[in-house]
Amino acid sequence: MDLLSNTVALSRMQFALTAIFHMLWPVLTTGMAIYLVIVEGLWLKTRNPDYYRHARFWSKLYVLNFGIGVASGLPMEFQFGTNWAPFSEAVGDFFGSILGFEGAMAFMLEAGFLGIMLFGWGRVHPVIHYLATIMVAFGANLSTFWILVANSWLQSPAGGEMVNGKFIVSDYFQAIANPFMVKSVSHMFFATLETSLFVIGGISAWYILNNRQQAFFSQSLKIVLAAAVAVTPLQIYIGHLSAEQVAHYQPTKLAAMEAKWETSPAGQPADWSLLAIPDEATQTNKWEITIPNGLGYILEFKKNLSEPVLGLREWPASDRPRMVGLIYYAFRIMSGIGFFLAGLMLWSVLQWLLGNLSTEKIGQQTWLLRTWIFAAPLGYIAVESGWIVRCVGRQPWTLYGQIRTADAASQIPASNVLTSLTLFSVVYSILFVATLYFGSRIIRQGPNLELPIPGLDDQPAVETEPATFVPDQRPLEAQQ
Amino acid sequence: MDALVHFLPQVWFVILALFLFLYVMLDGFDLGVGILSLTSSDEERRSLLMTSLGNIWDANETWLVLMGGALFGAFPLAYGTILSALYIPIFMMIFGLIFRAVAFEFREHSNLKLLWNFAFGAGSFLAALGQGFALGSVIEGIEVDEAGHFIGSTWDWLDWRSLLVALTLIQGYVLIGSTYLILKTEGELQKTHYRTAKLAATTTVIGAILITIVTPIVYEAARTRLFSPPLIYVFAVIPVLGMMLVGLLLRSLNREEESTPFIWTILIFLLTFIGLGLIVFPYIIPTQITIYQAAAAPSALVFMLTFIGVLIPIMLFYNIYNYVVFRGKVAGSAYGE
Repeated sequence: MDLLSNTVALSRMQFALTAIFHMLWPVLTTGMAIYLVIVEGLWLKTRNPDYYRHARFWSKLYVLNFGIGVASGLPMEFQFGTNWAPFSEAVGDFFGSILGFEGAMAFMLEAGFLGIMLFGWGRVHPVIHYLATIMVAFGANLSTFWILVANSWLQSPAGGEMVNGKFIVSDYFQAIANPFMVKSVSHMFFATLETSLFVIGGISAWYILNNRQQAFFSQSLKIVLAAAVAVTPLQIYIGHLSAEQVAHYQPTKLAAMEAKWETSPAGQPADWSLLAIPDEATQTNKWEITIPNGLGYILEFKKNLSEPVLGLREWPASDRPRMVGLIYYAFRIMSGIGFFLAGLMLWSVLQWLLGNLSTEKIGQQTWLLRTWIFAAPLGYIAVESGWIVRCVGRQPWTLYGQIRTADAASQIPASNVLTSLTLFSVVYSILFVATLYFGSRIIRQGPNLELPIPGLDDQPAVETEPATFVPDQRPLEAQQ
Repeated sequence: MDALVHFLPQVWFVILALFLFLYVMLDGFDLGVGILSLTSSDEERRSLLMTSLGNIWDANETWLVLMGGALFGAFPLAYGTILSALYIPIFMMIFGLIFRAVAFEFREHSNLKLLWNFAFGAGSFLAALGQGFALGSVIEGIEVDEAGHFIGSTWDWLDWRSLLVALTLIQGYVLIGSTYLILKTEGELQKTHYRTAKLAATTTVIGAILITIVTPIVYEAARTRLFSPPLIYVFAVIPVLGMMLVGLLLRSLNREEESTPFIWTILIFLLTFIGLGLIVFPYIIPTQITIYQAAAAPSALVFMLTFIGVLIPIMLFYNIYNYVVFRGKVAGSAYGE
């Protein structure tokens, strides 16, 4: 089958490309919006002008990412109609409604208050401005919620059944609260937060390492670190719960995540594969490093499995995901990064407790700061890897167990999809490079520490006492 | 139950028309300003044009996202059929809007302003062109089988009628864009917008008249529907009202009034929209698929209505608040006074 004339394969590639590219921007803005709420709140509470300058500086990076996020979000929605029309028709009742909710509840809220958050500093009362910032953060996180509701439903469809090729919903709330929903929403919520924290932390570390505004950026690094204390371990725990639900509901995906070809029966221990070269032709791993008896500990924290773990050979090739190696390594990269970031958090907290993060000493923590800079892009890689596991691992289904991806695609000429896919590749490469360039430019420029502080009610921005005329009272001789 | 089966799709038809109208009106002036920026040789003026949109273009574009989601949920069949039939114009629009959006973010930081100016202007033009072709071909009708799936060819959307609609829509956007700029600018710059508004009003009206004449002549289905009651009355009244509004618009432009040209233009858009809606109704893909055939299950329509319906007044409220906060002339104008 020639790839260039295969509409389904091209449509999948286009969806993958646009989704992977799109994910890069909201993952930062959603988490950073919460950070902006924190620093603006600190400013209102303490009146320390540094916090105000933090809000202004980070929102420059925020808006750059937001713009690309909006731009790259449009094709996500419209592709369901253009490239996946049969899917849209079959699941529109639920899936379309959820996308509609996302628009009405999340995007509009975010967009409606963004203008005030960015340009409204002198125009509205600081409290109203703070409210706008909160609404932007709330809208962004609501959109995480609805998108993950929609995607979880694709993983574990609930609330109705397929009748004549159309999903008939009997209970909408059961469909929203599908088995995957709670854990997936939480996993993504913490993913956006963790990625943003380490981006902010990494950039702050860069300034400190380069002896620029050390005191100012110690503040942001410490806010980030304080949040990371809670976020990094929680994310590992939720990740574990997510893997458990995959084991329960999507055994084909679990088998691919572990490159497991043979079934391990219940009541016995099983080896866990650490690294391997999966080979789909022979349905084995060509080469493998395993940890003896590891699988039971990883899945259930005990040696013997209480339920069998099925291997990929249990299913015909047409009923299980392909690209096993991709799923296997994407999963390892994601979890590895999760543990790495938690480790970095522990190391940093230790140094903090030892008093080595004070403004005078922090500049000497060269290796710690370098590690933070290195960690800045890791969150993105983990998030993208996680989505690859989630969606490539779901194959060959679009709606798990119900609608096959091959049946979900529009029958349009492959040349159309090839053209749009090529255009996306070109345009997105340019946008990616341009955003990195302009982003690093904003960072090199640094924060404006001269920014005038807008006033609160009892603290006017500008002294407006009218000038009074004081007549010259010196003796006449002295007046010339 | 039967009443429900008819009533709910009608409610959603009206809601979708509202979202689409808000989009065409609001992002219409954004796109119009963008297209106008192509004619500007002055960097300062272009900065001013973009500043006038900085805080609102994103919220305005969101009405399109909302319309897309609501169409997906309320009329899934139409969503799939229309978008896959109009693959090329839809992606023209998407790429146009992408260029427009990134231009706002990149231009500010770039030394190479020329490039992002072009992305802003050309992106706006491309988006408007794609929308015009899409609108034109939906009015013309899309070839579908008895199940409502697209069976035409990938270039069906391109002919001189859809081109006429696209060009007219672009004129309309330029018109609403220049009346918006009359509101937001002052001095010499404002004067140039009175001139562009007059020019755009004339070309828009010519386009609209041509479409009104051509449609019943070319399409037999449209002709029989339009020249029999009840549409015959609509078809008789709307052009008359339209010409009255155009007269009022031209008078307000001649008198150099500030806010009325924008208002008259909005009313002209609204009237055109009502006319189009009445002609299309009860079809969602004209003369092939009715809203009743394409609608989601009644339970889905009720489900969406409870969540989205309640939010409509709230969305309108904070969007209006956004406009109130940023009312008045664009600051930083060297052209002021």
